[in-house]
Amino acid sequence: MSLLTVRGLTVAFRAINHDVPVVAGLDFDLPRSGALGIVGESGSGKSMTSLAIMGLLPAGATRTGSIVFDGTELTALPERRMRAIRGDRIAMIFQDPLSSLNPYYTVGTQIAEAYRAHRSGVSRKTARKVAIEAMERVHIRDAARRVDDYPHQFSGGMRQRVMIAMALSTEPELIIADEPTTALDVTVQAQILELLAEVRRDTGAALILITHDLAVVSEVADHLLVMRRGEVVESGTAAQVFSDPRHAYTRALLDAVPRIDDTIGELRST
Amino acid sequence: MTRYVVHRVGGMILVLFLVCLFTYMVFFLLSPDPAVQICGKNCTPERIDQIRENLGLDQPFLTQFLGFLGGLFTGREYGGGTSIIECPAPCLGYSFQTSQIVTDMLVQRLPVTAVVAIGAAVLWLTAGVIGGLVSAVREGRFADRFIAALTLGGMSIPNYVLALGLQYVFVVQLQWLPFPQAVPFADDPGQWFANFILPWTVLAIGYASSYTRLTRANVIDTLGENFVRTAKAKGLQPSLVWRRHALRPALTPVVTIAGMDFAGLLGGALITETVFGINGVGKLAADSITKNDQPVIMAVTLLAAFFVVVGNMVVDLLYSAIDPRVRAGAS
Repeated sequence: MSLLTVRGLTVAFRAINHDVPVVAGLDFDLPRSGALGIVGESGSGKSMTSLAIMGLLPAGATRTGSIVFDGTELTALPERRMRAIRGDRIAMIFQDPLSSLNPYYTVGTQIAEAYRAHRSGVSRKTARKVAIEAMERVHIRDAARRVDDYPHQFSGGMRQRVMIAMALSTEPELIIADEPTTALDVTVQAQILELLAEVRRDTGAALILITHDLAVVSEVADHLLVMRRGEVVESGTAAQVFSDPRHAYTRALLDAVPRIDDTIGELRST
Repeated sequence: MTRYVVHRVGGMILVLFLVCLFTYMVFFLLSPDPAVQICGKNCTPERIDQIRENLGLDQPFLTQFLGFLGGLFTGREYGGGTSIIECPAPCLGYSFQTSQIVTDMLVQRLPVTAVVAIGAAVLWLTAGVIGGLVSAVREGRFADRFIAALTLGGMSIPNYVLALGLQYVFVVQLQWLPFPQAVPFADDPGQWFANFILPWTVLAIGYASSYTRLTRANVIDTLGENFVRTAKAKGLQPSLVWRRHALRPALTPVVTIAGMDFAGLLGGALITETVFGINGVGKLAADSITKNDQPVIMAVTLLAAFFVVVGNMVVDLLYSAIDPRVRAGAS
């Protein structure tokens, strides 16, 4: 049985007299410990998909269809029970680590907070230890000291490591990373991707990686979903999609990736 | 941090010095000759000269200013010959019209003004923060619009209209409140408290209105922040998301502005104190302006400036204690 099964997922925003769908009838399966890449341009609905799974859609958005996580239908779950899953069994990593961390609290507090929210009766001391361990696992040097630093005292890549540590602290079965490397520069991107791959290997957590960057998914994901205008235009194993793209849009996307042996051409229209 | 404090205190001293200089200059250059006023109707030029000499008004500006500054720190003496008046430090001048040392006049009035300011601040902070929170939570709904209408009214209505209107309704017509008469707290705490209800309300309404709007805007802004989304994604209880991740960032600026406004009020609430006959710094200022009692007007001006500057600094230091980013920028 797969860890996550999504069927006919539709997310729509209420306009004045009709609904505007931003995700239209999405289907996919994610096996345990699998890694799925969702690729698409801005506005293709990939972030809305992740927020729909988390039950964190912005006000005014509605969600229909079915999201089954480990045998539980999430769309029918009351908010209280969804909250118990959120951050514990499904964790999320966001795009901009600076604005995603609260500037008023130390990173240790913020990591420990995620852990304490889901483990009743955990002392501050234990939670702090968990935070330090999580920071060590994402290779933040001198974690025992840096646990008391504030987000602004970290570099961009280190902040994203903090976000990943936060996600890891509860040992989730599924990690959703929404554009985790977009706000980072290229060398740091590679390090963060490597870290995500390592985390997956070590913890066995499944990963949904959302990005507009094909180079990024190619390194991490084994399955690929190409989205455009709220719909899946192509899906398959990463190898398949890369070597033999079926859809013209996927080919256009692939062509848009700069290659070292490339001659400069225009974006092929679909 | 220590360097930051030293830096700020240094800046504050400079600002206060400049305020002193400019205030003194304005009163030196613009106001009518106090000697003529003191002299009264049957005056001779010789008498005026005599008074000017006694007051030190025949001295050049710089000498007079230095004399004033010196008085602030070491005290000074006024008059000459047989009638010498001791003015101990900090000497803010001598009021020849009331024959009182200005510092004493201020010290006498300041507690009353402090009571007015503290009561009003408690009221407006409570009302402003609660109103703002309700507006933010019910954004766009009836409660929000209703509060918006109230705050528009609260900000638009002038204090003197509000003061007289409320006094007419609650004291004259409904007689819910006794007619204000000055009583010491110890004699009749009930009457003492009743005296302050209307002044507190009048002062608080304007501030509460703008604080409601400020709180509303800050809370709505903060709720849209990515870190609030992160907090939700962690699966935190909504109450925790609110308390830790929304309210603290949203209310920090409100608290700091409250510090400034409070400091400003310590310099006297001129209109409110006058309307309600409260013998505070504000009424002292109003009375002194009508009588053109320059040393007093100047002292009140300096006192207000002093509170604003000190309040500003306290708020800055507080802010750096609350917001870790400011702390880092300063060290």
